Amino acid sequence: MKTLRAYLSTLLIAALVITSLPVAAASTAPQSMDLVTTQSALAADHAGADRERISEILARADVQDQLVKQGVDLDEVEARVAALSDAEAQQMAEQLEQLPAGAGVVGALFAVFIILLVTDILGLTDVYPFTR
Amino acid sequence: MTNLLTNARFAGVFIMLLLSGCARNPVLLQSTYQALPPHAEISSVPFYAQTEYQCGPATLAMVLNHQGVDTNVEQLIPQVFLPGRDGSVQPEMLATVRRHERLAFPIRGTMDVLLNHLAAGDPVVVMQNLSLPIYPMWHYAVAIGYDLPNETLILRSGEIERHSMSFSRFDATWARTEHWGFVVTEPGTLPTGITARNALEAISAYEESHGPRATLSSWQAFIEHHPGNAMGQFALGNSLYADQQPDNARKAFERATELDENMGAAWLNLGLLLLQNDAPEEAREALTQAASLEGSWQGKARLALDSLNND
Repeated sequence: MKTLRAYLSTLLIAALVITSLPVAAASTAPQSMDLVTTQSALAADHAGADRERISEILARADVQDQLVKQGVDLDEVEARVAALSDAEAQQMAEQLEQLPAGAGVVGALFAVFIILLVTDILGLTDVYPFTR
Repeated sequence: MTNLLTNARFAGVFIMLLLSGCARNPVLLQSTYQALPPHAEISSVPFYAQTEYQCGPATLAMVLNHQGVDTNVEQLIPQVFLPGRDGSVQPEMLATVRRHERLAFPIRGTMDVLLNHLAAGDPVVVMQNLSLPIYPMWHYAVAIGYDLPNETLILRSGEIERHSMSFSRFDATWARTEHWGFVVTEPGTLPTGITARNALEAISAYEESHGPRATLSSWQAFIEHHPGNAMGQFALGNSLYADQQPDNARKAFERATELDENMGAAWLNLGLLLLQNDAPEEAREALTQAASLEGSWQGKARLALDSLNND
């Protein structure tokens, strides 16, 4: 994975450099001057633009891999990655393993059960609604 | 003997920790008690009991249906549930709302703000850790109301249609997710109490997948709430431009440069827009401003200025 990442980075950097060359070379020719999007203005507010862009492209590929690994239906993976904003994609790529996944109350070990029963009664947790 | 003493000391520390947990400060500001109606409950929010680990899809189905979206838990499961994690993660909760053409605004995480949203009629999706940090049980629920005299919050939660929970217990479980929650609205409405930054990010994220024309009404609503926000005026300009209203777009970009004269992106877009509308002299002025400001847009501004000078 690490080597794949390094390889992809190099490739992407090269691709970005190459695609930006003709623009620099043809600066006198009439060119399409698109307006700056709100997303890139907001992103530039956060950090340097080009490096950010590379890592965001990588992030989406990463997230796609991870979603497949987590058992998401192949038909759905693409749509789910597309639905994420750049910032969210990056967050998912960097810390999907650590992100809390909301699931609700699931069975607990007996020792844990006793502790949680006590903390429930103390009003610190809400695992067993029958304590009230 | 020393062993016993150490054990006793540990037990003492543990009990003290628990007790200090109970003797927390009041969760609400005094002003909240005075400003809000004593009771509020948005009973029109439908209820879907969660099955297995599906509190994420169930929660989304409740708020999306409440917002008039035709969807259901079965449809949402493949969109938001992560089988490998037996749950749903926060970024995908927000992203799935946007897939259904609604906006998701993260709220400011305090009990006072939460109750204010409920009093304003906006149900709030909250994330809790029902258990302790060492053995987390992450959970999504929909806060639908409160009872100030009894100090209870009312939630659609798990398998319980109307779960009422003391403010302090709820706050303890909510604090373990750093008070994470969000409200859902249609495009064109901005719930009161959302910070300008959160609103900017939420509307911009919607724009990423639906395009700038789809967010025009939302940016207009944003500007009504935050007329002095330069980034908001800039974003409105882009949406107006995409909606083929160049004159209004120009006004918005100009307003952005008035509000923040160091905003290179606004000067640049103003210049490019003027260039397209055959106003080369005014374009030159705006582009010169953009080119004089250090930052991401300087290079592009210089290029545009050069090509203008060469014509």
